[in-house]
Amino acid sequence: MTTNGDEAPASKYVTLISADGFEFVVLREATLISPTIKGMLRSPFAESKTGRCEFPEINADVLDKVVEYFLYWHKNVDKPNVPDMDIPPEICLQLLQAADFLGLDKQSS
Amino acid sequence: MSSRNRQQRQIRGPQSALTDFLASHNISANQIRLDADARRRAAEADGDGAAPPQDAQATTASAAEPANENEDDTVAALPARGQRAAARLGQERRQKEQDVIDKIKSGKKKTSKRKSKDDDSDDDYELAKALSNAARPPGQSDNCAVCGKRFTVTAYSRNAPDGGLLCTPCGRELAKDDAVPKKKPKRLGNVEGRRQVQSKILDGTYHTGAKSLMTLCIETLAKNIDLADDISGLPSLVVDKIARKLSKHRLLDPNTLNLFIQPTVDELAIYDGAKLSADEYIRVIQTCPELKKLKIFNGIHFKDEVMDYLLSRHIELEDFHLHGANLLSDSKWQEFFQKKGRSLQSLKVSWTDKHFTNAALVVLKDTCPSLVRLKVMHNQSVSGDGIKGIARMPSLRHVSLDLRQTVHSDIYVDLVNRLSENLETLSLTRVANVDNTLLDAIHNKCRRLKKLRITDSEIMTDEGFYRLFTGWTNKGLEFVDFQNCRQLESMQPRLNPDGVGLCSKGFVALMAHSSRSLKFLNVQGCRHITRQGFEEAFGPDKVYPELVKLEISFCEEVTDFIVGSIFRSCPKLHELNVFGCMKVKDVRVPRGKILVGVPNAMGMVIDGDDV
Repeated sequence: MTTNGDEAPASKYVTLISADGFEFVVLREATLISPTIKGMLRSPFAESKTGRCEFPEINADVLDKVVEYFLYWHKNVDKPNVPDMDIPPEICLQLLQAADFLGLDKQSS
Repeated sequence: MSSRNRQQRQIRGPQSALTDFLASHNISANQIRLDADARRRAAEADGDGAAPPQDAQATTASAAEPANENEDDTVAALPARGQRAAARLGQERRQKEQDVIDKIKSGKKKTSKRKSKDDDSDDDYELAKALSNAARPPGQSDNCAVCGKRFTVTAYSRNAPDGGLLCTPCGRELAKDDAVPKKKPKRLGNVEGRRQVQSKILDGTYHTGAKSLMTLCIETLAKNIDLADDISGLPSLVVDKIARKLSKHRLLDPNTLNLFIQPTVDELAIYDGAKLSADEYIRVIQTCPELKKLKIFNGIHFKDEVMDYLLSRHIELEDFHLHGANLLSDSKWQEFFQKKGRSLQSLKVSWTDKHFTNAALVVLKDTCPSLVRLKVMHNQSVSGDGIKGIARMPSLRHVSLDLRQTVHSDIYVDLVNRLSENLETLSLTRVANVDNTLLDAIHNKCRRLKKLRITDSEIMTDEGFYRLFTGWTNKGLEFVDFQNCRQLESMQPRLNPDGVGLCSKGFVALMAHSSRSLKFLNVQGCRHITRQGFEEAFGPDKVYPELVKLEISFCEEVTDFIVGSIFRSCPKLHELNVFGCMKVKDVRVPRGKILVGVPNAMGMVIDGDDV
């Protein structure tokens, strides 16, 4: 992982915080699939120092699914024939909006 | 016996052939049936009154009897043999039963050798239990092992988990319980089968790694579309993806259409309008007054009345794509151009049979001054006159034609000469009789061309293609499709003395001219491109940095070496098609690239090797 300049090497993990205050500690590498989070963690922004990204638009149950997706994606990088992740229909639309916000519309990065 | 027979004979009714046959051999079918019934009744009575078995032997007799029913039938069928024979058979049967019991007992002993004591009475009990649990044959009555009700055993009666049989309702319950755990492991994971992977490869939608979260969500949404009540808050790109997915599953109907028609939308794409009636289209126009881009596929019911309604509204379409609307008459098209043509920038009309004619195209030049993109596909009516009309529209930058009428080269040459200044896309599909003059005209006039498609020409020659790409001041092309530009000669298909079609010289010139910009190349069926031609074009010093898809099917000279060279010289290549290239046998495919159509049992190769 890249280091951010004079600071200590960045942690392997980042913390994602939902609108209602739940915190998810996730492998940094896995979150980089999202261009939005990748941008937030780049050096001029506060998030790059603290490693804490707040998402005031995303609820905990949706962010939970997003985090699950990050790990699912990370686990299946470059694997052929990946089984689909289960998505509960009741949060589907919210998740769709979160996916759009986080830029998760490309097949792979 | 005889008196009983006489009584039975009075019953009238159809007789089976077997009954007749038995009667002719002095055997009574009735007698057999009555005997069998009597035995069954006896067995039932036995079973009803069954107390916990005291004497193993007794239970065995009654329980084992039904199992030997076939033998009984033979006995019953041969009443003429007399008592002695029956007695002998009975004895034999008893002997057999005894044998069976002995066998079970000895088996039991073998298995229970570990037991310290060899308890005989215990054995007997086990044996009795085993025999009483034995399934009754179909046709008999038994008590259900769960609810205890009496029922008739059939071939479909299920066994209870701990011995005995189940009545139909209880059996159904058990089946329900069984079915759930059986299905579960299948559902888990939802891994796609090999077939589906292959189908995706052929569709060009195959990727390694996980699907994007958005794709997953859209798929879930499409599966549960009846639960969704409003998708208006989503970005238009996402809405478009949902529309595509729904139409793919043929789920777009008057109900789901409501999700897409909002008063504020300016862009609407109906990818499968087959289930929508004329009223639905009118409703679309009613509810979306801001509409600028309208795309309708399979819009069979987009009829004159719908167009009339559209003409009566203040909708100024900029982008109109109509596919399959073959009930819309030509006069309505003309009326549409006259009233609404001013704002039109893009017009695509496909699969309309004969109802979009030259007259409509001629009207275009006066009514649609800002038209930039024109596409007429699969049209049976438009001919040279219509193209002459298009040629007089200097605003056009993208022209795609797929006509069924034959049009002379001169008319296309005229089109290119007049529009060449702005022309970026020229797509002429299935133009069998178009010759080199068109290629020369493109060479001389076009300077901004990015996409060029000329397919199925049987007259153009290699020399013509060579002239086009040699010293052409047009920037590199991005999209080239020359499929099936080749000589058609059935007598001597391999000889091509005149160099008809796209051959080596033209191909090498094409690759040299557009090497830096080419993204998509299709030279399918250009059979006379030689091995040397390919080897030169994809030689060690050649790189095609942008090429993503290459189609070289039915180019006979392609070898393993050429395919390897192609993968080396095209770093971005995603898919290579080599159907019918019989010299391709065993190629190493780099990781993440797709080679389709290798002539082996696999058909396509996705190699995991890193090369």
